[in-house]
Amino acid sequence: MNAPDRYERFVVPEGTKKVSYERDTKIVNAASFTVEREDHTIGNILRMQLHRDPNVLFAGYKLPHPLQYKIIVRIQTTSQSSPTQAYSQAIDDLDKELDSLKKGFEDEKTRFEEKLRQGY
Amino acid sequence: MSSSTKVSALDMPDVPMGQLPEHLHLQRTRVVCKADAPIHTEGIQYSGAYASIGVDNSMGPNKFCKSFKTVVVRLTADEIEFDMVGIDASLANAFRRILIAEVPTMAIEKVLVVNNTSVIADEVLAHRLGLVPLNADPRLFEYLSENDTPNERNTIVYKLDVSCKKGGSRVTVKSNQLKWLPNGSELQMTTYDSSAKAKSYTSFSCSQDSLPEFSKKPLGVSFPLELLSDIQNLLLIIYHCHKSYNYEQAIELEAHAVKGMGKVHAKWSPVATAWYRMLPEVVLLKEVKGDDAEKLVKKCPVGVFDIEELGNGDKKAAVVNSRACTLCRECIRGVNEELVELRRAKDHFIFTIESTGAFSPEELFIKAVTILEEKCDRVISELS
Repeated sequence: MNAPDRYERFVVPEGTKKVSYERDTKIVNAASFTVEREDHTIGNILRMQLHRDPNVLFAGYKLPHPLQYKIIVRIQTTSQSSPTQAYSQAIDDLDKELDSLKKGFEDEKTRFEEKLRQGY
Repeated sequence: MSSSTKVSALDMPDVPMGQLPEHLHLQRTRVVCKADAPIHTEGIQYSGAYASIGVDNSMGPNKFCKSFKTVVVRLTADEIEFDMVGIDASLANAFRRILIAEVPTMAIEKVLVVNNTSVIADEVLAHRLGLVPLNADPRLFEYLSENDTPNERNTIVYKLDVSCKKGGSRVTVKSNQLKWLPNGSELQMTTYDSSAKAKSYTSFSCSQDSLPEFSKKPLGVSFPLELLSDIQNLLLIIYHCHKSYNYEQAIELEAHAVKGMGKVHAKWSPVATAWYRMLPEVVLLKEVKGDDAEKLVKKCPVGVFDIEELGNGDKKAAVVNSRACTLCRECIRGVNEELVELRRAKDHFIFTIESTGAFSPEELFIKAVTILEEKCDRVISELS
């Protein structure tokens, strides 16, 4: 009865921004990013990539409620970097990694199909 | 690597600079599956984790590209099994989630029932029809939203027309009896304005089979009767018309299929299922000889161990097929001393993808990577 429509899991409603940013008032170089209509699929990956950044002191994500389809990513960095910079860098690195992953898989697939064809 | 004996740090063997000592390497790269629970499950991502001993744990995109490897083990028309080495568990899980829920497919959404005098209720039949996998490429179609009119670019129309005469033999209705109507809906919508031309439920401006993409491969259901002799692959919609029923049973309906994602309803999932497991590593901690070796080999249900003959009639157990280990833990259950250690490699994933027919399995994975890339772009581009 109170369950939201299933398409709300990925359709961002009019007026709300997909990503919003809130600086932490009490701690320097810390911020929370609220990403609408996303879940563990992107949240866990982003958190993992942020952990690899040596300038990041704290990185974590959570889903405040399973029926509210958004994630909150909290980042704290050293003074060398800023949370937005760390976030952008993490996504850029991810893009590069996914590109090479896709290319690696396509190469391996053609190699395997060649091998199959020659095996007969 | 026996953890029960404690070794003083001063007595540990020297490791060359830049390498981790044995026990730390184990902790970083392997999950050890003990009898009650696994340990070392968390991934150590921080680049300065081992800075105090001078080991660099960083992983940038260049290092990733160099260390990433993928090997295809098996590839058939419906299934693929491949290994990916060098990725993290979060990436593997993301691919699994996207394959199950976010790759779009076509599935029946609206069922217009003209006549249903069978024993199955309308809604039960419609539900079952929705779950039938369709052999249509969703890349050729657009999404249909509430305000759009159904046309040849966003809908596929199927018709089912079966009946069973009174006293006739039992008729089985299978999914391949759904006939594709390339010209759109044949049913007329009732209008109160009798002078207006009768409208049908879909407005196809041209027949779907005149479009070049569709004429190459007629849109049918995934597993038709004629092509497969394997009975399990046929989708039974209903059994109907038992001889004892004294009336004619008929089903006449039209089904409209639209594009959707598994996130909205599981009928739009393109995979039968997709899963991954980590590469198992089975290690014998002690030498197991003679009768104990025989017992150990017998315990394992999948044949991870085998007997190795030593020269003089002596036998010992050896690990021959650790990849088959299913973690049933029979080899470590109830023994007093630890003979075997079960481990999993944290960065080596064995993926299996079973497709339902709309896409081929390797295309599915490539589509999943593309969708993840699009997600990443959306998450960054909308940051003001």
